[in-house]
Amino acid sequence: MLIIENLTKIYDNGFKALDRINLEIPDGQFVAIIGLSGSGKSTLLRCINRLIEPTEGRIIWNGVDITAASDDEVRQIRRHIGMIFQQFNLVKRSKVLTNVLSGRLGYTNSLYSFLNYFPKQDRQDALANLDRVGIRDQANKRASELSGGQQQRVGIARALMQEPELMLADEPVASLDPATSHSVMKYLELLNKEDGITVLCSLHFLSLARTYAHRVIALKGGILQFDGLPTEIDENRFKEIYGEEAIEVAIS
Amino acid sequence: MNRTPPSARVALRNLLIVLVITLAAGIYAYGWTVTDIDLEKPQDEQRQTNVQNALRELLSPRIFEQDRKIITTTTSFLMDCEGESPAAPESSDDPYVRVTPSCGKAGDVVTVEAFNFESGVQAGIRWAPVEGQRRPREVLETGRKEIIIDSTGDFKGQIEVPRISGSSGQIHQIEFLASIPSGPVRFSKITDEVIRRMAETIFMALVATSLSIPISAALSFFAAHNLMRPVRVPVGNLMMAIIALPIGWLIGVNVLAVIGREAINFFQGDLEVSVLSLLPIIGLGTVAASRSVVLLETPSLSHRLWAIGQQLVFALILSLLIGVIGGLSLVLGERLVDFADSIRPDNNVGLGNWLATAVVDGINGTGNLLNIIGGLIELSMNSIGGLIGAFILSSSVTNLTSGMLRSIAGVPAHLLGGVMGAINGVLVFAFVAEIAKSAALLSLLTPLAAALFAQQIVVLGHAAWRARQKKVVLSHVERIVRWLIALAAAATAFVITFIQLRVGRTVIDGTLPSLETIDIMGIEITLYLLNAMIIGGVLGSVFGLLAGTRQPFSIGNVLYNVTRNILNGLRSIEPLIMGIVFVIWVGIGPFAGVLALMLHSIASLGKLYSEQIETIDEGPIEALKATGAGHLQTIIYAVVPQIVPPYVAFTMYRWDINVRMSTIIGFVGGGGIGLLLNQQINLLRYRDAGVAVLAIAIVVSILDYASATIRERIT
Ligand SMILES: Nc1ncnc2c1ncn2[C@@H]1O[C@H](COP(=O)(O)OP(=O)(O)OP(=O)(O)O)[C@@H](O)[C@H]1O
Ligand SMILES: [Mg+2]
Repeated sequence: MLIIENLTKIYDNGFKALDRINLEIPDGQFVAIIGLSGSGKSTLLRCINRLIEPTEGRIIWNGVDITAASDDEVRQIRRHIGMIFQQFNLVKRSKVLTNVLSGRLGYTNSLYSFLNYFPKQDRQDALANLDRVGIRDQANKRASELSGGQQQRVGIARALMQEPELMLADEPVASLDPATSHSVMKYLELLNKEDGITVLCSLHFLSLARTYAHRVIALKGGILQFDGLPTEIDENRFKEIYGEEAIEVAIS
Repeated sequence: MNRTPPSARVALRNLLIVLVITLAAGIYAYGWTVTDIDLEKPQDEQRQTNVQNALRELLSPRIFEQDRKIITTTTSFLMDCEGESPAAPESSDDPYVRVTPSCGKAGDVVTVEAFNFESGVQAGIRWAPVEGQRRPREVLETGRKEIIIDSTGDFKGQIEVPRISGSSGQIHQIEFLASIPSGPVRFSKITDEVIRRMAETIFMALVATSLSIPISAALSFFAAHNLMRPVRVPVGNLMMAIIALPIGWLIGVNVLAVIGREAINFFQGDLEVSVLSLLPIIGLGTVAASRSVVLLETPSLSHRLWAIGQQLVFALILSLLIGVIGGLSLVLGERLVDFADSIRPDNNVGLGNWLATAVVDGINGTGNLLNIIGGLIELSMNSIGGLIGAFILSSSVTNLTSGMLRSIAGVPAHLLGGVMGAINGVLVFAFVAEIAKSAALLSLLTPLAAALFAQQIVVLGHAAWRARQKKVVLSHVERIVRWLIALAAAATAFVITFIQLRVGRTVIDGTLPSLETIDIMGIEITLYLLNAMIIGGVLGSVFGLLAGTRQPFSIGNVLYNVTRNILNGLRSIEPLIMGIVFVIWVGIGPFAGVLALMLHSIASLGKLYSEQIETIDEGPIEALKATGAGHLQTIIYAVVPQIVPPYVAFTMYRWDINVRMSTIIGFVGGGGIGLLLNQQINLLRYRDAGVAVLAIAIVVSILDYASATIRERIT
């Protein structure tokens, strides 16, 4: 259970990106976060794993107050929260396998890291996770040699190395074409169904949210605008979220 | 609102442009006067011949040498025509010399002719009296003593009969000396010397570059804005760490360094025993290393204690290991040198012996290097122990107290902050004052530190006031007011410290602060240090009171600024100037040059490297942080792979620059080919200097090409 209470984020320049957000997300849910560019989606996701320090409010996950955790404790917590990104955030020059293995660093002795060593079990798991996202044969290529869809799957495999219970996905398919988008979203769906991983995924296209999410959250100017089922979003709601002039386009 | 009509505005702008141009022209003209540009000088005839001669010789480097044989051909001359004049030699196909007329008196001009010499041969004419010195004669047509035989192989020129008293009626000889090359052509002595010096130069650059790489690579991380900006720690933790530093240093010096030295002494003994006894240490180290990460969800106190225990063991083992490495280096180095001596061949005649000598030299060099490493460790064991102690203790103390600090909030946190701030201020200012008292310019550091503190206090005070007012948005006016108040506070703190520590005297007179001491509770302390510590204590306690213990402090920004400024300062000092200082320190020779180049390379590579870090893709850093990786792990896996290629490229580039610099660092005594070049130029031996110049040109252009190619390959 992830409970967000009164979460507010004010950036150093005084900009209020999140305004008293309250949410309760039960384990195993697939939640889509939608909203215009600049509405605070990324800020919300990054507050959850403290990549961004919240200004006020609390985030309680499985009974632990993430916002009150010390640096060491934050690292312990982050190990169980996977994250994937719009730009994939892979080390382009490193091998795919190394990128996947680096998802395991939170569990690895720093001295091992100096020697670039990972336990055998981790290496096997990395290959297994690559297998799961269908690109085991690319393991020894440089990350930069892969296509966008493949890179995002490497990102998923890297997050899987953490054995996450919660997956944060910040516009994971925004830089992919429609067909590839679906294939990546299917993997997220798979993790949600098979492993019971809670997924929080920000999306640009409402159609994607409708297809994959159990629940949709809409942000507008840092305020929680909508929280409900995907089917509840009709034309009026849509205009509320995206503004009067918007028309819904579908991603096929 | 600006309501000036457009035409007036245009006129104003044009006027401004004209003004700026006039001003620029004036400044430029002043530049010409200052640089003493004088078109007369380059046209002066004497100067022109001088420079032509110098250039001709520089461009005619004495690369080769050949022995010369002097062939003397003579003909007779009767002084004052008192008697029968000698007969002219018969013409033949062999070289011969003729003088006409063959008699005459002092001051007469006679014609000397030489036949059948090789063209291009250097020659000269000497007058050989019956007794006394021979006198070289000048050829009147050219005004020179040297003669070059032209392509006909013959020579004809006039000379004056010298005045030699009491020589009347004697037969004198006119000698025509031809210097004919003989024997094989070989490299000249100067070429040999240049090649040896060039090798020295290249190695100087190599050693300086390689020594600077690890240091500047480490520094570059601290000088990279993007890495350092997010590094923040709660003020309380930082203050705890700073308090622990000097204590840890003392413990390190008195315990760890002693252990290290014991290890050095022990391992310097018998090599076999040493290697055997190394095994348990290695085993222990491996065990400690593999278990040193305690992965727990919520570390309890006992786990923290356990982790600290491990750190202490780690500190002990590390000191021991460094000692062992030092001892082993010394004993191995000695053995290698002995071994090299024992197998050194008696001579290096012949290829086999020459090769053997080279191998032996290599072994000897390795032994010497190990000896130097061991010696360095032995010398710096105190500092090594102190550093390890300071680092481990302060990280342990921070670890142990961070939980407690986090649980304290509100007024107690601010009170605690005030107390710890006072101690911190005292420590920091003692440290700064210790540095500041070493030179006049450095003495400004203490007032500057005080100013910085005061400015921070204003910022903190303002933040506290804002929190009280529940204000969120910082208005423009408020920002400016805060800036003005901060400036005023900084200036006040600066002035007070300046006066209190009598920095004025130091700066004006260049004398160092007085060492007047007073006695406080049996501890003798200089008044200067005491004053600085009091100022620090006051500023620190105010700072701590305002900040409390919970506020995040951008320690990263502080480290960034300090590193950047030091690097920039170092970089602005030319290696030649550093060379002068190092020559004073370690004497004339390549070592001084290496040190100077190294120091400068550290600064400039550190800057170049850190700029590379600042351009990396930060996405992977964020991604790895999100997985729960530590700082170090993030750097190893997200930063290092991205910076290796540019680091290699810049290192090549730096080596290239260092070779260029080491060719001239010899001008200030830094060794290498510059030393030789300087000597030859001072002796006006331009042909020899030419060889050095040529060698420099060749090596530099080869390197230029090589480094460019390699850089292209990599990036
Ligand atoms: N570091 C920062 N400092 C100041 N303002 C910021 C910072 N990061 C983001 N913001 C602002 O906060 C607001 C929310 O940003 P956020 O990135 O969360 O939006 P988003 O919904 O993810 O938008 P997008 O769809 O474009 O990714 C934006 O207006 C942005 O300009
Ligand atoms: Mg975003």
